[in-house]
Amino acid sequence: MIIDTPKISRRSFIIGSAAIGSGLALGMNIPFGPRVARAADGSPEVTAWVVIRPDDTVVIRIARSEMGQGTLTGLAQMCAEELECDWSKVTTEYPTPGQSVARKRAWGDFSTGGSRGIRESHEYVRKGGATARVMLVQAAADAWKVPAAECSVANSVITHGPSGRKTTFGAVAEAASRITPPKDVPLKDPKTWKLIGKPIKRLDTTDKLTGKQIYGADLTLPGMLNATIKECPVFGGKVKSFDAAKVAGMKGVKKVVQVGDTAVAVIADTWWQAKTALDALPIVWDEGENAKVSSASIADLLKAGLDADQAFVGNQNGDAKTAIAGAAKRVEAVYAYPYQNHAAMEPMNATARYTADKCEVWCGTQNGEAAFAATLTASGLPADKCEVYKLLLGGGFGRRGAFHDYVRQAVLVAKQMPGVPVKLLWTREEDMTQGRYHPVTQCKLVGGFDAGNNLTGLHMRISGQSILTAVRPEALKDGADPATFQGVVPSGEFEFGYSVPNLLIDHAMRNPHVPPGFWRGVNINQNAIYIECFMDELAQAAGQDALEFRRKLMAKHPKHLAVLNAVAERAGWGKPAPQGVFRGLAQMKAFNSYVAACAEISVSGDNKVKIQRIVCATDPGYAVNPAQIERQIAGSFVYGLSAVFDQECTVKNGRIEQTNFNTYNSMRIAQMPKVEAIVMPSGGFWGGVGEPTICVAAPAVLNAYFAATGKRIRSFPLKNHGIALV
Amino acid sequence: MANARINMPATAKRGEIIEIKTLVQHTMETGFRRSYLGVPLARDIINRFVCTYNGVEICRVELHPSISANPYLAFSTVATESGTLVFNWSGDNGFTATESASISVV
Amino acid sequence: MKHGSRRQFLAASGGLAIGAVLPTRAAAQLARVPPNNMPDVIRKLVGPAPIKPGKVKIGLPPLVENGNLVPLSISVESPMTEADHVKAIHVFTEKNPLPETVSFYLGPRAGRADIATRIRLADTQTVVAIAQLSDGSFWSDSTHVIVTLAACLEEL
Repeated sequence: MIIDTPKISRRSFIIGSAAIGSGLALGMNIPFGPRVARAADGSPEVTAWVVIRPDDTVVIRIARSEMGQGTLTGLAQMCAEELECDWSKVTTEYPTPGQSVARKRAWGDFSTGGSRGIRESHEYVRKGGATARVMLVQAAADAWKVPAAECSVANSVITHGPSGRKTTFGAVAEAASRITPPKDVPLKDPKTWKLIGKPIKRLDTTDKLTGKQIYGADLTLPGMLNATIKECPVFGGKVKSFDAAKVAGMKGVKKVVQVGDTAVAVIADTWWQAKTALDALPIVWDEGENAKVSSASIADLLKAGLDADQAFVGNQNGDAKTAIAGAAKRVEAVYAYPYQNHAAMEPMNATARYTADKCEVWCGTQNGEAAFAATLTASGLPADKCEVYKLLLGGGFGRRGAFHDYVRQAVLVAKQMPGVPVKLLWTREEDMTQGRYHPVTQCKLVGGFDAGNNLTGLHMRISGQSILTAVRPEALKDGADPATFQGVVPSGEFEFGYSVPNLLIDHAMRNPHVPPGFWRGVNINQNAIYIECFMDELAQAAGQDALEFRRKLMAKHPKHLAVLNAVAERAGWGKPAPQGVFRGLAQMKAFNSYVAACAEISVSGDNKVKIQRIVCATDPGYAVNPAQIERQIAGSFVYGLSAVFDQECTVKNGRIEQTNFNTYNSMRIAQMPKVEAIVMPSGGFWGGVGEPTICVAAPAVLNAYFAATGKRIRSFPLKNHGIALV
Repeated sequence: MANARINMPATAKRGEIIEIKTLVQHTMETGFRRSYLGVPLARDIINRFVCTYNGVEICRVELHPSISANPYLAFSTVATESGTLVFNWSGDNGFTATESASISVV
Repeated sequence: MKHGSRRQFLAASGGLAIGAVLPTRAAAQLARVPPNNMPDVIRKLVGPAPIKPGKVKIGLPPLVENGNLVPLSISVESPMTEADHVKAIHVFTEKNPLPETVSFYLGPRAGRADIATRIRLADTQTVVAIAQLSDGSFWSDSTHVIVTLAACLEEL
């Protein structure tokens, strides 16, 4: 059998790899080992994860999406650790989802969300690096005709101990790529890690600082046109009619097109021309029933659920209702949390080019495969005729993971201009009003004490919107949405950190028409406020210190307690705070990590809050890049504190009212508190980093606010109470 | 009466194989879902489709809950003679729908 | 279909690429929704006859965003004569609550054994199509579909 030398082109890369996939699996007997898969420049793949160039550059393939959270660097660190390559020569590339499909998901899952990027791929990414290392060493050993066991490897250099001979990865990569990959290569003991666990500088910072980095919104392609779009502002409504003739003559306008049943787009030479024309275009909407809905009607709907008979149970032991009914003292509070938008800095966008033979999409996405699936559906073309090229995202936060409406729209628009690349970029107003919102909820908490001020019962009734019902109904369990109970479930990644003798946590599901989505942290944001603020209310009612009150309930939750104790100790809880400074605490387990925060704030006479400092502790099991974790903590606080102070999306006439940052503010640098991060990995499990910490800042600040003023705030954002962050 | 649509050519040459596409409006409630109040939603699906060509059955389909809402069914038949094709859907709760289409075979 | 035989399935259809070392945990997550009793249901339909791979070609996208409306086409090589034709095409899914999905009963008047419909897929899974021929033989094809939205919600 003759082995072709694969041509150096991406097309043959795909063909070659598909052939390899099937060749190996069918057990075809190919002499000299399997055909070599190559990168676009001809450099050989040692494994699907690692391409090595003759100059020893190591290209590590990353399936997940980088969106500022540092996963790109973290995954590369893990692969490089096992590979034993020279880190200074590491670079990364994204395989495309088309390649993934053609190679039967050689790189595993592309989806980047749920704080899973590192913790779910660490094992196979490390294996990819380890397997490549073994093959490289074997290739060198074969060339020298010595046993591989006599060779050592470090920094891309392979050394034969007894003879002192050396070679580099680049020199043996070609030969290594022809070796059948060994199965089950053992991974390094974490105690011997040299790269993992180090605060290594990120791989993507320089290009971002120099402006070289391209995001979806920056993309230009030869001959590209620009488009912008308007979807019916009332969710569930449709396009009734539009008068294209009114704008057809405007400068640069190429076409006015309806997109599906619900949207209209203008395609023009420049984006500004498209936007100007779209603003001028008369559109008549068939708004439908939902035009009657308002924030007030939604609040009424939710309020009724607080006392409804039926609710889905998320956590239960004993008989909370009876315990509370017979309690010596009863404490009750009702909280409410609003809709919020992701408000990523980069509005939704995608560029598409469609012909009957090929549909290509360029976009930022948290899930390349989902973007690819949307492309397949919208184009109607088969998988081998489609491709998605992932670009960096200017913010994901969950908006670009489960929803590829902007990809579907871009393809449908591009289909109207076959052969021409069209960049569809939403306006800020469209981005603000066509979100997938953090769901709206209210919560009634009731606690009961015995005569000795011991907590004997707790009932937490959540009333509000389920995300899964709208987004993934197949994941409902007998109609219940398990995601609603994040942070308060009996066990697992979101385990409740308290032991209460009679506990009931339940959810009366009420689903308004506003489309919900996964907003960074998802349901831990409001659940942490609900439970951690109420814990303080209970402590106060019992006349106990907030920390001591919690500690008594956490004896069976040592890891939750450890992070809480860590922040308390660092913040000096129990010792007097500086004059005018007040403290508040919060803790939760989320996405398999244990997190806690202690906030120190001061409040001026006219309700201006200055957050002096937040101490935060996280135990994510293992810490791949501690510096990156500290930054994620700080970043999550920007997001979470902006939300609690300044952000809500209200509904009027069925549509979202907030259209830009003038009514949806975000924290500024001067307002940012000092963040002291304690990264305390206790080993033995892998917890997430991107999201967990977001949920503890707000309740810690709110508890500190009570300490400062004696006032409990139970509805948000704080600006509605005249409270401002300074 | 449910909305049903048939897409097939109005004329064909004798012996030609024609494609027939059918669509009928129906929620196809699987019976595995529960409402937001936890109440099980009873199964309510179309479970049978029959197409006859001048009275002779040319295609029969058994549908189960895994068929998407608004069932789309497409199949082929040989244009043997001019006449009428009758399409009939039936299912739970006494659901029935009927459509017909003429074909002229030359 | 047991987890092990699903891997055989994938391998037989040209399935596991180099470097794809999916450890048990990740694979278990991909198989998060437990399989139904598809093999039993198939066996009950077919009886003792062997099911031969071939003649049948399933058209399904390799991935879909959500599983509510997945276009499915099936074509079976057959002259569709009185003497030699496809009597029925049966479709099964590995992980939907019920494995039976749809059955098309054809005959020589069909001209071609080509059908299409739209199905629901509860999760990433394998879909099997079995054609019953007039000579009593059974032929099959299977394909794997990734439901990408499922991946967002793994830990729930």
